[in-house]
Amino acid sequence: MSNRATTAASERVATIGATGGPSLRLPLTLVAVAIVFVVGAVAPTQFAGDFVLRLGNEGLLLGMLALSVAFLMNQAGLVALGAASIYGGAGLLFAIAMNDWNLTPMGALCASFLIIVVYATVLGALIVRTNPLAFMMLTLAAGEMISHAVMLEGLRDYTGGADGLVVSFKGTVFGMEAADFASPARFWVVVWLATWLAGLALWAVGRSRLGAILRAVRENEERMRFSGFDTYLPRLIAYVLVNIVAAVAGLLHVLNAGFVSPESLGISVSTNALVAALMGGIAGSVGPILGGLIFSFAQDEFGGRGLTQLLTGIAIVVFIVVFPRGVVGGLSGMAWLRTRAFGGRRETS
Amino acid sequence: MIALLIANSLALASLLIMLASGLALIYGLRDVINFGHGAIYMLGAYLGYTVSLVGGFWLALVVVPILLALLGIAFEYLALRPLQGRSHIEVALVTLGLGIILGQIIIFFYGGVARSVDAPQILSGSVTVLNLSYPVYRIFLIVMGLGSCVLLALWLRFTSSGLHVRAVSQDPSVARMMGINADRLSLLVTSLSTAFAGVAGVLAGPYMSIDPGMDVTMIVNCLIIVVIGGTGSIGGAIVAALLFGFMQVAGSVFLPNIAALVPYILLMVVLLIAPRGIGRGRVLS
Repeated sequence: MSNRATTAASERVATIGATGGPSLRLPLTLVAVAIVFVVGAVAPTQFAGDFVLRLGNEGLLLGMLALSVAFLMNQAGLVALGAASIYGGAGLLFAIAMNDWNLTPMGALCASFLIIVVYATVLGALIVRTNPLAFMMLTLAAGEMISHAVMLEGLRDYTGGADGLVVSFKGTVFGMEAADFASPARFWVVVWLATWLAGLALWAVGRSRLGAILRAVRENEERMRFSGFDTYLPRLIAYVLVNIVAAVAGLLHVLNAGFVSPESLGISVSTNALVAALMGGIAGSVGPILGGLIFSFAQDEFGGRGLTQLLTGIAIVVFIVVFPRGVVGGLSGMAWLRTRAFGGRRETS
Repeated sequence: MIALLIANSLALASLLIMLASGLALIYGLRDVINFGHGAIYMLGAYLGYTVSLVGGFWLALVVVPILLALLGIAFEYLALRPLQGRSHIEVALVTLGLGIILGQIIIFFYGGVARSVDAPQILSGSVTVLNLSYPVYRIFLIVMGLGSCVLLALWLRFTSSGLHVRAVSQDPSVARMMGINADRLSLLVTSLSTAFAGVAGVLAGPYMSIDPGMDVTMIVNCLIIVVIGGTGSIGGAIVAALLFGFMQVAGSVFLPNIAALVPYILLMVVLLIAPRGIGRGRVLS
């Protein structure tokens, strides 16, 4: 099932590039998207300063994390509050694999990625069968478990405890050296590409059969079960899929920063991703990514004097109560959450 | 040794019961898990610290729950009631946001340092029971915890408002048809729940240190208990809190290296065996 879904996704991504996807029938739209892609990849590296680029890089990484949160929220109706443990965990594992296991950078990357995917699969297998509210509580608990585990005295030699870990790698990852990842301009191109790939992949999955099943399960799990559908596996696949996106973001982050701090596993990273998703609107792929960028720049503007957390809390309340569709997702957003309360139906995005 | 272990786990469980049953009460009526409960508990602890400095521990134990009950009333009128038509997940997210805001306001006023509260004269020191010396304050904590637990059970079982709460928890629409005003009940239950959190906060002062991370720690512990106990089941929550307290204390004695992870291991094991938790009913049955 997983293979089929992901190959379907990649085929769709491929067809978008070649002939235009189902919704992008107009060549004009395709050209516009291509122009945005190329201009977005090149222009900032030419015109923006290092500081702005750094904020942009952070914004895109947060956007990828927000993308994973939003996808699960929109398609499966599940709110994950443990994104940070995957994001920070992947980075930390990479650092450990580099420092302690003496792997090559590429080997460390693969090892940490595999371990985190296995972890996400096992955790998902345990928790996706619960109801959405319990799921939310369990992801929060699992996230806290990981951040506690990192701080354990016995693992201090491995994880660095509260000090975090420095990663310095020699050699290349995907043909890039450490200095390339550290350069804001060159990293921008990498993270821009990764964000697009993640966004397109999740968008395609949302439009695939898997997405349709997920939305149907979200609306009424019992009905789907009675209709002979497996309601467990699709949600597990979705959970693993979004965690793959989060893990990629975490690995990119550590390649860029060259450092993992225990804070990157903390609950505030998870809530930041949630806020970015809510700000951008959870429907579609553009909203959450834009939300991540907005968050990053807004944090720089208003987040001084330790106000970030306070504003995060305010943003959660305001965006759910007043602007439930976010800045971008004015089309569908969280409409289903309210229509469902009245037993209504909703056009799926 | 075993007796000491059990006594210590009872002391911890007492705090957890007060908080987790508050969560389960609101869940029973509103189907909402209050993710801000940890922050309310933290507010109780810090207000308890301040009032203790001014007027002593006993005054704090009376005043703080009243203040937090008022906060609960505001929470009901300003958040829960206007958002009644929204999905439960949305409301839960709003309580998460409100909890973060409240936590940050507390940190703004008290700073990021840990504080400690002294137990009153009469409760400091320790007594010797059966050749075991045990701190008086912990005994007091156990008495308070189990006492409030008994009071809660008596209220739910033998009063008409308690009956109504159980009725709404079991089937909101039928209860409403029978003429039960769920809004008025919710006001009572929400203020009761926050007042309990206030009591727990004040009691936590002399027992453990008060620090800015206590809200997240406590809400996560409570969520684990609520999930283990079966969401919304008060009886299950009480049993789960006792189990949790015992595992936590026993873990710190026998497995000090991984004590911090013991609650999560417990959670995962329970989820594997019984995904719906150990409690059966929605609320005390």
